[in-house]
Amino acid sequence: MRGVSAIVTDRLVRRYGRRTGIEDLSLRVDEGQLFGFLGPNGAGKTTTIRVLLGFLRPTEGQATLFGLDCWRDTRRIKQDVGYLPGDLRLYSAMTGRDLLSTFGMIRRRDLTAPGRDLADRFSLDMGVPVRKMSRGMRQKLGLILALAHEPRLLILDEPTASLDPLMQEELIGYLRRLASQGHTIFFSSHTLSEVERLCDRIAVVREGRLVADEPLEQIRARAQRQFTIRWATEAVQAKVEPPGFLQVDQRRGRTWEGNLTGKAIDLVRWAAKQPIEDLSIGHPDLESLFRRYYDQSVVEARHPEAGGS
Amino acid sequence: MNRGLLVKSVRDSGGVTVLLATALLLAEGLLGYVLPTVMSQFPDQLLQVPFFRTIITALLGTDIGDSLVPSTLIAIAWVHPVVLAIVWSHAIVFCTRIPAGEIDRGTIDVLLALPVSRWNVYVAETIVLLLSGLVVLMMGLLGHRLGIVSVPRDQRPGVGHLLGIVANLYCLYIAVGGLAFLVSSMSSHRGRAVAIVFGILLFSFLLNFLAQFWSPAQAVAFASLLSYYQPLPMLRTGDWPVADMIVLAGFGAVMWTAGGIWFARRDICTV
Repeated sequence: MRGVSAIVTDRLVRRYGRRTGIEDLSLRVDEGQLFGFLGPNGAGKTTTIRVLLGFLRPTEGQATLFGLDCWRDTRRIKQDVGYLPGDLRLYSAMTGRDLLSTFGMIRRRDLTAPGRDLADRFSLDMGVPVRKMSRGMRQKLGLILALAHEPRLLILDEPTASLDPLMQEELIGYLRRLASQGHTIFFSSHTLSEVERLCDRIAVVREGRLVADEPLEQIRARAQRQFTIRWATEAVQAKVEPPGFLQVDQRRGRTWEGNLTGKAIDLVRWAAKQPIEDLSIGHPDLESLFRRYYDQSVVEARHPEAGGS
Repeated sequence: MNRGLLVKSVRDSGGVTVLLATALLLAEGLLGYVLPTVMSQFPDQLLQVPFFRTIITALLGTDIGDSLVPSTLIAIAWVHPVVLAIVWSHAIVFCTRIPAGEIDRGTIDVLLALPVSRWNVYVAETIVLLLSGLVVLMMGLLGHRLGIVSVPRDQRPGVGHLLGIVANLYCLYIAVGGLAFLVSSMSSHRGRAVAIVFGILLFSFLLNFLAQFWSPAQAVAFASLLSYYQPLPMLRTGDWPVADMIVLAGFGAVMWTAGGIWFARRDICTV
């Protein structure tokens, strides 16, 4: 199964009666990719994951993992998949150790050593019954169960929920290492900052439709940056006409504030010739870009037939 | 067969099995001890009271004759509503765990993310059901044997007779389990599945009961699962009710197969 894309969906449709879960969703995730799957609540992220895992049968279209059909070949596929559900529920009477040994038996692999290593990494006592675990502890256990067999594809639905910031950093570092070893990470979230910290490619889904799918660098390049220019004197700035790549929103005394719509290097070259006292350029403002993707009007403009669905 | 699935099923259901096996041991022990002792104090004239006679006949599903002999009293211990409730409860509680219970509590997401087919899960659950059902009924048999110590040795039923009753009850257990598997496969809420199966069994119990003294019910009595479970005739003759057992096991197998097909094809949605 090596050498094929980890995930491919082709014009995937899933409807619940008259309600649409996902519509015409085409995705391709290559092996070794850190893929972010973004969208607001109810956008169709979990439905897509459930189709990929063979929990739901597609209404139309096709979904494959490693070239195998997600519905027909679901058992074979899952040998290479680790999954952490968004709303994780585990068998409450069992301890972490019981679950690890049972899952190991089901996978026909001894997961004791890798499970112990992961438990050390995430600082989890595996002897505690699930019913006595806090939400954060259960999340860590879910991650250990999803990671212990070193899957080729890891599907994570809101994995950092209930983890403290230190654990989030630990998880993200670990996932990066996995990806560098060739493992594929499919990271579903509704929080951009989370996906931005980890992923190298991002797809955005809204009302079941794909509204963006591109590398993070391309998205960053398109995103506007905020700038602040402080002129030498107030009189000087009044005489300067802003170039086309600067959108000045506010002029206060000898200060300009606004958005850089072009490249930072153009601003630096232009500023070098001006009587400027100080210049600052912010990070790309991805939040506002994604807010536009989440905006209904954008979806309707791209897919007029989806209006009102 | 995937050993891990069997272990998971045993770990998940072991508590209920131990609890209900103990309950059946105590119930059979108590009934086996109390019934012959108490009932022997009732005069045979009591059987001439229409209401009392009808109740006993309806419970046993067959005519009891003119006197309450030990075999009648022992048979009552195996059709007593408490005994049936314990046996049915085990079958229903166990069989509604997959898939309705797992969907209801959300654990099916991690279970089906493992490299097993839905049929693997279903068959593993069934194997554990059949084994734990045997444990429950054998505990009942043990309780019964301990309870009937007060019955004179020459009036006690032989082990073969009692095994016949247990085998018939086991087939009834399989029928109830198969029905519960089917209802569970079609449901995403365990409480609803349990209520439906209990409703069907209650109807079955009442139908069998009414059929003994109400002619309209007699015409459809064959539809009651309990009409295929009658310990008293077997205690009298010693013949195992093979035809009844085949009907019950066949019904269970058909229900089980339909449930498996439904489970394998249905959508699983926990959110």
